[in-house]
Amino acid sequence: MTATEGKGPGVGGWGPGAGRRALGVRGRARTPARGVFAAACLVAVAVLLQLPGGARGPQAPGRVPQRIVSIVPSATEVLFAIGAGPRVAAVGSFERFPPEVERLPRVGALLDPDVERILSLRPDLVVVYASQTDLRAQLGRAGIPVYVYTHGSLADITAGMRDLGARLGLAAQAESAAAAVERDLAAVRASVAGLPRPRALLVIGREPRALRAITVSGGVGFLHDLLDLAGADNAFGDVPRESTMAATEAILARRPDVIIELHYDERATERDADLERLAWKALPGVPAVKNGRVHVLYGGAFVVPGPRVVLTARAFARLLHGVRSGIPSSGTASAPGAGIPDLTPVT
Amino acid sequence: MTDVRRRLAAAVAAFGALAAAAVLAAPLAGSTPIRLDRVFDRSVPFADNVDAQIFFIARLPRALAGALVGASLAAAGVVFQALLRNPLATPFTLGVSAGSALGAMLAITLRLHLSLWGVSAVTAASFAGAVCAVAIVYGMARARHSGFSTNVLLLAGVTLNAFFSALILFVQYVADSAEALRTVRWLMGNLDVAGYRPILAALPLCALSFAAFAWLPRALNLLSLDADAAASRGIDVLRAQRVAFFSASMATGAAVSLGGPIGFIGIIVPHLVRLIVGADHRVTLPASALFGAAFLVGADVAARTVMAPVELPVGIITALVGGPFFLWLLVRAR
Amino acid sequence: MAIDRGRIVGILGPNGSGKTTLLRLLAGMLKPDAGTVTLEGRSLASIPRAALARSIAVVPQETHLAFDYSVLEIALMGRYPHLGTFQLEGPRDLAVAREALVATGTASLERRRFSTLSGGEKQRVVIASALAQEAEILLLDEPTASLDVGSQFDVSALLARLNRDRGLTIVVATHDLNFAAALCGSLVMLSAGRLIASGPTGETLTSLSIQALYGVVADVYPHRAAGHLTVVPLRRIRRD
Repeated sequence: MTATEGKGPGVGGWGPGAGRRALGVRGRARTPARGVFAAACLVAVAVLLQLPGGARGPQAPGRVPQRIVSIVPSATEVLFAIGAGPRVAAVGSFERFPPEVERLPRVGALLDPDVERILSLRPDLVVVYASQTDLRAQLGRAGIPVYVYTHGSLADITAGMRDLGARLGLAAQAESAAAAVERDLAAVRASVAGLPRPRALLVIGREPRALRAITVSGGVGFLHDLLDLAGADNAFGDVPRESTMAATEAILARRPDVIIELHYDERATERDADLERLAWKALPGVPAVKNGRVHVLYGGAFVVPGPRVVLTARAFARLLHGVRSGIPSSGTASAPGAGIPDLTPVT
Repeated sequence: MTDVRRRLAAAVAAFGALAAAAVLAAPLAGSTPIRLDRVFDRSVPFADNVDAQIFFIARLPRALAGALVGASLAAAGVVFQALLRNPLATPFTLGVSAGSALGAMLAITLRLHLSLWGVSAVTAASFAGAVCAVAIVYGMARARHSGFSTNVLLLAGVTLNAFFSALILFVQYVADSAEALRTVRWLMGNLDVAGYRPILAALPLCALSFAAFAWLPRALNLLSLDADAAASRGIDVLRAQRVAFFSASMATGAAVSLGGPIGFIGIIVPHLVRLIVGADHRVTLPASALFGAAFLVGADVAARTVMAPVELPVGIITALVGGPFFLWLLVRAR
Repeated sequence: MAIDRGRIVGILGPNGSGKTTLLRLLAGMLKPDAGTVTLEGRSLASIPRAALARSIAVVPQETHLAFDYSVLEIALMGRYPHLGTFQLEGPRDLAVAREALVATGTASLERRRFSTLSGGEKQRVVIASALAQEAEILLLDEPTASLDVGSQFDVSALLARLNRDRGLTIVVATHDLNFAAALCGSLVMLSAGRLIASGPTGETLTSLSIQALYGVVADVYPHRAAGHLTVVPLRRIRRD
């Protein structure tokens, strides 16, 4: 039996390093060397764990984070909005805005965070989701502070901006950014005050080109709040959840006057929007379909609960109330983060 | 009248009535109360008649889809159990459903935005996945034998099932959370077809399968004894096995493409029917198809009403009924 | 090799000698690589399956049911070669099946589930199902292999009676030398897929042939009380 028999790259979890493999092979052939190597590893690990700084984060409390990793897209947008952009070292897989993120390294997202990569970047703050308990535990063991970004209602967004600002020592900038968002939102609410409130169905997912597996916004969460702010009643507002599957029967029974669909596919064209609207022809009795008030919005701006909710609020107001909303139209449905999509009726 | 003639007539009459009653009664039940007199009120234009819309657009297609899917899966279950000579076989044993599921997952995750003749990409991809699975399993069963080894078929099917299931998990993992959730939902089954088009798309395939099913029962009786016993009584064993395999797989593929992989129908219904009418496939096959239709329509009504206004996925109801039933079967057999 | 009508022929040979293969060739379930199998001059390959099933019936060594059929249902399955594609059995089919059960002494078991029967009863029911085919030729593969001595007697007597009363041609592949000696008028001996002897039982069943076939020294002599040849194995010879 030769020393290399049965060994291949990465066997036994050693990793592809050739030097490591050679060690392993030698270890297999001669037991005493293997024992020494294992002992050396243990000692090395023990030493590393004791080292101050380096692998661990900053120890001194009160020190403001300077190297931030954020895998929550809404938090990333907030960071850039409050002036912490230059401090962001890496972002998650799904960040698209602002354009600066395209140049930053990606470290995974909700289901697949790349812990090794995050650790290798030596951050002093990592923004994560509340449900990522494993990741939080691992970062905690490595001594890296974690900021858990949660979002729920519209108010939580501006509260989150202020909180993050305080944490980063940018309280003033955060305050002005948050106040601006609140001001713009209030302006939208004011401009539609007194206008009749249509019943609106806010679709956040369904099978492409077919009316199957329709997911809508329930009566909880920032999308519902935006709809309410833009002067409409959520057709599924009585459901106490952020999202729910809407059966055909339920949609027919609730008779929405307007249907707004949100898609975050950035590469869609007008033709795609037309084809998606066509699917609703299966329910001609629904007032929204009958009156041509089915709208399809593409873009990440509409689904990220961050500072750009203002754009969403304006888009909703424009779609719901037309010119009476007082919001000028500009741009097309598929230009992300840009102007407000035009009202295009279903023929 | 001989025994089998009598039993066939009685079974078709009884289960047929049950299926018809289920399809006619199901559209009356649901989370929104509707009134039959308003449904058929001609004086109100259809576009304004919500009760009629709910009845004809939402619920009736749903009942018909349930009947078609239930009948297909139950009949396919009977055929597979005879073909594999194993009462524990299901339409999903040989990997057809896993292939369907993989096709649907890929369509959802890759966001294939197309539709053919009103059939969505997910449905079409799901059926394509079923066809691939069938081709692979059949190819493997024929690879080394000039005949058709049901043992190899079973092993190939089970292996393919495991492999495709792993691929499905992988696709779910790389999908983002919204798509992953959608795939999970798809796997639970959904009969809310919103219109007759998806049913019409599945109908030709189901019709072809059922035509083959009409020819099979005698062959199935003999195949379930022994391949040699069948051959010595004049059955072309290879042809019968092929017809059984392809027709049952096609029915399963069509059913899964229409309503998702709804489990347990392919095993509960054949067992219950056998308990009532005996094992002769000439009676069991048509009776299972009819009872399967009634069963799934009933399960769908339960799914829509037990936690109204929230609708449960129908696959959960069939699993909740199927699991305990299975345990009872095992305990009873002792 | 030729089998005359109305005879009872035994096929003998050690494990793996090809007894079952020969039986399947005779039944038309296997196609020969070289040569032909003919039934009354017509090659088996030229006879349509259903017609063949009306002439030749096969009783396999074991019958495992996946589902719980009743005895009558199994007997009725023998009628399938006589039914049209979608035809259901009629009163005559029922009568033939019942008569077959009577002939095998299993009429009282008609409503019983097959899985509840004893080994001997099962074997006789399967024979009844083959009889219901109304074929002139009956092929049996190791019919007594898993039966106790009493059931073996029953089967042997049954086959002899069927041959005598109905003129059935019977071909039996068997290990059991005494069973073959009692039942069969002539024997065919196979070794490693080759025919090494055939002829009337008295001439073929000898110590020499048994030694050549099985590697066993045996005493073969006519037993006065039994009325037929009896084989008593004495010792094993090691063959290379």
